[in-house]
Amino acid sequence: MALSMTMQRRAVKGVGNIWLFLMVLWTAIPFYWMVATSLKYDREIYGFDATLIPHQPTLANYVTILYDTPYLLFLRNSIIVAVGSTILSMIIACLGAYAIARLNFPGRALLARGLVFTYLVPTSLLFIPMFAMMSALRLTDSLHGLTIAYLGFDVPFCTWLLMGYFHSIPVELEEAGLVDGCNRIGVLLRIVLPLALPALVVVTFFSFTHAWNEFLYAHVFTSSDRVRTITTGLANFMTEDVFFWGPLMASTVISALPPVLMFLVLQRWVVQGLTLGGVKG
Amino acid sequence: MINLRMETSEMATSTSTSIRLPSAPPTVDLREKRIANFLLRDSTLGYIFLAPALLVIVGLVAYPFANAIVMTFQQKTAGAPGYFIGLRNYQELLANETFFRTVFNTAVYTGFGVGLKFCFGLSMALVLNQERRWNNLFRSFLLIPWAIPTVISALNWRWIYDDASGLINNVLVRLNLVSETISWLSDPSLAMMSVIVVVIWQGTPFFTMCFLAGLQAIPKELYEAAEIDGASVLQQFRYITLPRLQPIFLTAIMLSAILTSASIQFVYILTNGGPADRTQIFPTLAYNLALGGAQRLGMGATVSLFFFPLLVVLIVFLTRRMLREREE
Repeated sequence: MALSMTMQRRAVKGVGNIWLFLMVLWTAIPFYWMVATSLKYDREIYGFDATLIPHQPTLANYVTILYDTPYLLFLRNSIIVAVGSTILSMIIACLGAYAIARLNFPGRALLARGLVFTYLVPTSLLFIPMFAMMSALRLTDSLHGLTIAYLGFDVPFCTWLLMGYFHSIPVELEEAGLVDGCNRIGVLLRIVLPLALPALVVVTFFSFTHAWNEFLYAHVFTSSDRVRTITTGLANFMTEDVFFWGPLMASTVISALPPVLMFLVLQRWVVQGLTLGGVKG
Repeated sequence: MINLRMETSEMATSTSTSIRLPSAPPTVDLREKRIANFLLRDSTLGYIFLAPALLVIVGLVAYPFANAIVMTFQQKTAGAPGYFIGLRNYQELLANETFFRTVFNTAVYTGFGVGLKFCFGLSMALVLNQERRWNNLFRSFLLIPWAIPTVISALNWRWIYDDASGLINNVLVRLNLVSETISWLSDPSLAMMSVIVVVIWQGTPFFTMCFLAGLQAIPKELYEAAEIDGASVLQQFRYITLPRLQPIFLTAIMLSAILTSASIQFVYILTNGGPADRTQIFPTLAYNLALGGAQRLGMGATVSLFFFPLLVVLIVFLTRRMLREREE
C-alpha cells in the first residue's frame, strides 16, 4: 500500500466522522420535525406561511390533545395492558425457563425448540384466527383480552431469554441451597431470581415496550375508544379525516417518551439481551 | 423453608395427641412426605412449572395457527361459523392479479428494506466502534429510532411526506427545487420507495446494535498483529472484521427478514397498500381482505398461509441456529 499507516488511519477517522455527522442528521431530522410541529400554531404548520422553526412556540397542541381528545384514556389503557401483560408473562416465563434450564424431564429439548419457533411466528400470520377466537370467547374490545393476547409473544420470548441466564448461574449454588434444606421453589425464589436480576430487568423492558408499541392486535381486537391503546388510538385519529397534525405530533412526542427513556436508562442490558434473542427488526 | 416445615409437623403432633389417635401422626407425616417427594421430583415439578407457558403457547400460537389452516378452506365472517368451500379461496387468490403484485411487492419491500438496513447498520456500527469523544452519547442517540413505537415513526413520517405542508415539500419549495409539490406517498412510482425509506430509518439501529456487539467481541490483538504484518485498513476489514461478524450477519438478516416482511404498521399507516396496490404487501392484503369491509376471514387466512411457507424456511433455519449458538 502506498499510504502509510498513520495516513490511512487519519483517512478512516475523517470518513467516519463525516458519516457519523450524516447519520446523526438523518436520525435527528424526523425527531426535530415531530417536536417542532407539536410546538407550533396551525398558521405556522399549514399553507404558505408554514415555517421550519416555531416562531411563537406554544403548548396549545399539548393542551388540546390532553383535554379535548380521549388521548389520556388511551394512555391509561396502554399502561394497564403493558403492566398487566408484563407481570403475567414474567411469572409464567420465570417458572417455565427454570424448568427447562434446570429440571430433568422428558421433552425438554423439544420444548426449548418450540419456544424459539413460537416467538418467531409473526402476529400477522395469527391475527385472523386470533380475531375469530377472541370474538368467540367474547374477549374482543376488552383490556384483559388484549393483555392475554400479548402473552402469546411475551411468554415464549421472555422464557427463551431467561433460560439463557438461568443456565449461566452456577448449579453449585442451587445444590448448596437444596442441601441446606430449601426446596426447588425456595431455590428459585431465593437463589436464582436474585442472581438473575439483570435479566429480569431486560425481560421487563422487552415485554413492557412490546405491549406499549404493539399495533396489529390492538387495532384488530378493539373497536371503541374505551379500550383503545395509544398505537391504535393515534392511528385512528389519522384515519378520521380531520388531520390535525399539531395535536397529533404532540401526542406522538408524549407516547414515545416512556419507551425511549426506559431504553436510554437500560441501554447496556438491552443490547446484551438483543444479542441473545433479538426482537423487532 | 425448613423452619416452616418443622412448625407444621409440630402442630400435627399436638393436634393428634389432643384427639388421642396414636396411629395418626406417622401416616399424616408419611403422606405429607410422599406428596412433597412427588412434587419435588424433577419431572413432575418441571411439568407443573411449564404448564402455564405451555397453555399460552398452545392457546395463543398453536391453536390459532391450526385454526388458520382450517379457515383457508372455509367461507367465514367474524362471529359466525364458517362453512367449507374446498379450495375455492386458493383458486380465487391465484386468479387475482393483486395477489401476484403483492408477492412481488413483498419481495421488493423485504429485499430492499433488509438489504439497506444491513448496509446502514454495518456502517453505523463501524463508525460507532471508532474511538472518539462523546461516543457513548452518539451511540445512544443513533439507537433511539429502534425504541420508538413503530406506529409513531410511521405517523411522523407520514407528516414529513405530506403533500401540502410536509417537511420535504416545504424545503424543496423553499429552495425552488420543484415547481409543484411531490406526492411521495400517492405517486405510484414513488410510494414503495418512500415506505422503504421509513423502514430503514426505524430498522437500522437493530442491525447497528447486533453488529456493535459483534465488533466489540473481536480481540484488539488481531488488528495489532495484522498491522505489524503490514495489512492495510481495508485488508484488516476484509480478513478480520468480516469473517468474525459473519455469524451475526446471518442471524440478523434472517430475523430482520421475518419481522420486516411481516410487519404491517408502516404500510398500513403510510399508504394502506395504495396507490393502486403499489405498496400492498402480505400483511396488509390479509388485513384488508379479512377485516377491511367485506370481512372475509377465510380469504385473509389464505393470504397469510401462502406467505407462511416462505417464512417457515427462515424460521426453522433461525430456530436451529439460535439453539446452536446458545449451546456454544
